Amino acid sequence: MNWLRQAATIARRELRGGLSGFRVFLACLALGVAAIAAVGSVRVSITDGLAREGSVILGGDAELQFHYRRASDEERAVLEGLGSVSEILDFRSMAATGDGPDADRALTQVKAVDDLYPLVGRVELSPDIPLSDALADNGIVAHPVLMDRLGMAIGDALYLGTKRFTLRAALTREPDAGGAGFGLGPRTLVSLAALDGSGLVSEGSLFEAQYRIDMGDVSDEVLDATEVQVGTAFADAGARWRDRRNAAPQVERFVDRIGSFLVLVGLAGLAVGGVGVSAAVRSYLERKTGVIATLKTLGAEGRVIFAAYMMQIGVLAVLGIAIGLALGAAIPLAIGPLIKAQLPVPVALGVHLGPLLEAALYGALTALVFTLWPLARTEQVRAASLFRDVSGAVRIWPRKRYIAALTLAVVVLIASSAILSGIPTLALYSAGGIIVALALLIGAAWGVRRLSRALAGTRAVRGHPALRLALGSVGGPGGEATAVVLSLGLGLTVLAAVGQIDANMRAAIDRDLPEIAPSYFFVDIQPDQLPVFLDRVENDPAVSRVDTAPMLGGVVRSIAGKPASEIDHWVTRGDRRISFADTPGEGTRVVEGEFWPEGYTGPPQISFAREEAQELGIKLGDEIVMNVLGRDITGTVTNFREVDFSSGGIGFVIIFNTAALQGAPHTWLSTVYAEESAEAAILRDVAGDAPNITAIRVRDAIALVTEVLGALAAATSWGAGATLLTGFIVLIGAAAAGERSRTFEASVLKTLGATRATILTSFAIRSALLGAAAGTVAIIGGALAGWGILTFVMEAPFTFEWRSALAIVLGGSLATLLAGLAFAWRPLAARPAGVLRAQD
Amino acid sequence: MVLSLRDVSLSLQGNAGMVDILHSISLEVARGDTLGLVGPSGSGKSSLLMLMGGLEKATGGEVMALGNDLTEMDEDQLARFRRSHMGVVFQSFHLIPTMTALENVATPLELAGVVDAFDRAQAELQAVGLGHRTDHYPAQLSGGEQQRVALARAAAPRPDILLADEPTGNLDQATGEAIMDLLFGLRDRYGATLVLVTHSTELAARCDRTIRLVDGRLDTETVNAKAAE
Ligand SMILES: Nc1ncnc2c1ncn2[C@@H]1O[C@H](COP(=O)(O)OP(=O)(O)OP(=O)(O)O)[C@@H](O)[C@H]1O
Ligand SMILES: [Mg+2]
Repeated sequence: MNWLRQAATIARRELRGGLSGFRVFLACLALGVAAIAAVGSVRVSITDGLAREGSVILGGDAELQFHYRRASDEERAVLEGLGSVSEILDFRSMAATGDGPDADRALTQVKAVDDLYPLVGRVELSPDIPLSDALADNGIVAHPVLMDRLGMAIGDALYLGTKRFTLRAALTREPDAGGAGFGLGPRTLVSLAALDGSGLVSEGSLFEAQYRIDMGDVSDEVLDATEVQVGTAFADAGARWRDRRNAAPQVERFVDRIGSFLVLVGLAGLAVGGVGVSAAVRSYLERKTGVIATLKTLGAEGRVIFAAYMMQIGVLAVLGIAIGLALGAAIPLAIGPLIKAQLPVPVALGVHLGPLLEAALYGALTALVFTLWPLARTEQVRAASLFRDVSGAVRIWPRKRYIAALTLAVVVLIASSAILSGIPTLALYSAGGIIVALALLIGAAWGVRRLSRALAGTRAVRGHPALRLALGSVGGPGGEATAVVLSLGLGLTVLAAVGQIDANMRAAIDRDLPEIAPSYFFVDIQPDQLPVFLDRVENDPAVSRVDTAPMLGGVVRSIAGKPASEIDHWVTRGDRRISFADTPGEGTRVVEGEFWPEGYTGPPQISFAREEAQELGIKLGDEIVMNVLGRDITGTVTNFREVDFSSGGIGFVIIFNTAALQGAPHTWLSTVYAEESAEAAILRDVAGDAPNITAIRVRDAIALVTEVLGALAAATSWGAGATLLTGFIVLIGAAAAGERSRTFEASVLKTLGATRATILTSFAIRSALLGAAAGTVAIIGGALAGWGILTFVMEAPFTFEWRSALAIVLGGSLATLLAGLAFAWRPLAARPAGVLRAQD
Repeated sequence: MVLSLRDVSLSLQGNAGMVDILHSISLEVARGDTLGLVGPSGSGKSSLLMLMGGLEKATGGEVMALGNDLTEMDEDQLARFRRSHMGVVFQSFHLIPTMTALENVATPLELAGVVDAFDRAQAELQAVGLGHRTDHYPAQLSGGEQQRVALARAAAPRPDILLADEPTGNLDQATGEAIMDLLFGLRDRYGATLVLVTHSTELAARCDRTIRLVDGRLDTETVNAKAAE
């Protein structure tokens, strides 16, 4: 291993020169690693918090949830056998400031709790009184947002339906909020006892009954065993069992999704950084060509040289990764309070080893992937380069073993990102996208260089030395142009893709929905209230359309004999709202099979939504077993309907024939399309007639969706921002690396009689050419990536958003121009003799 | 006088403070004159040439070229002045690496607004024996070939003053002589004034005068009787 020692000696001596040439290298690597480490750390902080505080978020060690009914006495007895049980009813209702027609109303998510609530954790109220006192004698506590919305103060009366409550306190902390997911209205708490006789929760209305169990200090094994035991006991009850280990599945999924998505954006950023790393190493090694050739003349073998430079880059990479990890670990701690305030769940902020290791792995692999090629080429430097300037003239491929190593590193990088991100398909697509983008960019760089060289030689360019200098410096020998196009192009492509996705989502919400969506969803309309309700809305001239349908809650138990638990689809997960009808209804298209005739009373038949049926593999004639309010009912699928869920109107996946379900307790659902100015009056009248009817204002629901999407978009743009920052550093690095050449060119041109204006023009043309090449690819690549993600991941329609694309590309070109001009300052100011003498 | 230097001095910032490179140099060069600058390595020959070309600003004294005070002009004025009056051949050529030989030679002509810049550049390269190398980039040329391109580039706009730093330094005997003929031909045909830095006694002998620099000072001046004949 004598040669390794020789290599180490050379490496040590070379590194004595300091790190000044490696600022861009270190910055690129550190920034990419820091972004990934930070995102990963925040994600683990949240999921760790969820795991540690699972029982608090769930409100017990385990929970059994029934849809639209309470547990029977026998069922309750089974649960009591497991530990102490607390019962909670969760439903939507309208909160009102009075019971008259002039009262202000707002949607609220009500939780009716028993004396044991909360089993785990603590409710915080303002003023700080015990919950039992607050809820006694028809007391109620409400989320400050609701109080604000209704302009209420402590001590005021607050109505739910026709039931009068007294507001006793503001609900400042609800320990089990994270387990409930994202509700439409702010929370209110009342006591279960107060519900009796209020008519708020009746058979057929939409509520959930949750039974939380405090099992004492139990192990996970006991939880597993209990799940099996409960599973058998409640096999036919249509109930959902959860324990503290998946307390907040919705939050967890949301965080996981955003987190993985951001890691992917981070990887794209790392790829941009990789281009900078590669360019830095390339220019370093180019400067070292003389040294390498001299060493060869003195008898050093190729592998010694390769190892010597590999060691130097290795040391620098370790340094860059270390800086990145330190930053990545520190950032979450610094912005921690901000994240905590945004999430309904506890966050365990701290330094987490896992995500740091993951980030380090990505950093190391990226460094390897992007430096191996230029490093391998050191073996090809011949001693002859001392006597002849061959840099750029010969382009030999590295030896096979380096290409194999490079391929292996790329494969490991992609595979680890696919496995570690938890979203393998998206990760593979992204990796593919980055590779395609890089290939496109290399192609574009090659193209713009060839084109420039060809143009430089044409007659049209003669007489315009500034233009020819620009064309020459893009197309002539030396690889600087490629580095600029790659780094800028990749950064802009990522940004353009994010821009396309963002603009499309916003456009979809802004443009499509409000025009065709109804004003209100009215739910919980009791059958006997329907005539009065219809009388009010159908005779209002401001109302253009009213749709009604009966609604029941049901749970799919099996499809064509296959248990629902073995089918992974949203239709078979949890409770499903279903309907019944005698006719397909106006505007509904039956695309396959026959809708049952009016007045049909035979065996139950089912009409299924076409797209979902296809996804579930349902064929006409299949039998579906559904549990409706504790009773199993079997229907045969006899036709498929086209259902458009995006229009915001009524859409049911499953519709039975009327006779099959008519006898079951049900409520009516109605959508009302009205002019915005008439909305308030309709709500007042409907709620005045029937206070139990819940009105969901579609505009509010859309605002909520917009908010969630906005959070997603914000997170994404932070990620894209980090990518852009990396891209900018790479760009500045490239401009700085080119400064020597620019200075030299400027000096020679001055000697030949060029004014500073001419020289500056030439530099500007050069930047514009490179910016245009990068920008063109970014538009194409960004559009492709945006289309792919919207079409295949978000399953939304894609339209090319010109404005976003142009803004991003123009911004990017401007950035190149500015970076180029900033670095033109010194070359222009330099006195020729000083520069040209130094070159001697 | 085409060139006249009065009491010129030059100091540059070195690693260990200011370094005095030239000390109160005064000299004059008449139209059509050829001046050889000789002296040991490091004596300041190249620096003096740079001052004459306005590529360096004198720390003291006055540099007049064709009646213009170069020390008073800004970078752009100097550039425009050189464009029409001055050609420079550097010791290490300084061709633009991203331009072919032909483009390098054509550039000063284009800057001066010459219409048939490329045809003249082609002819100029022909004259230095490189008519077959016009499309080569500098990196693809030998040292001597690069030097000849640099010479063609400096001579192409027919400057009033041609400053050349060791124009035959890298050339074999025969080529060197051909280049010398070319240089002196410029004087003979167009009345150009030549200032040449050289270590070659042969080249120095062909100049009208030679000035010897030692340690940044004028040491001796020789009027060459043979050349004056
Ligand atoms: N930027 C600089 N800063 C300080 N000193 C410099 C600088 N450039 C050159 N010198 C010094 O100025 C002196 C004159 O240099 P110059 O290049 O004019 O010499 P020369 O006579 O042309 O030598 P040669 O025959 O070797 O080309 C030298 O001693 C050199 O070390
Ligand atoms: Mg010299």
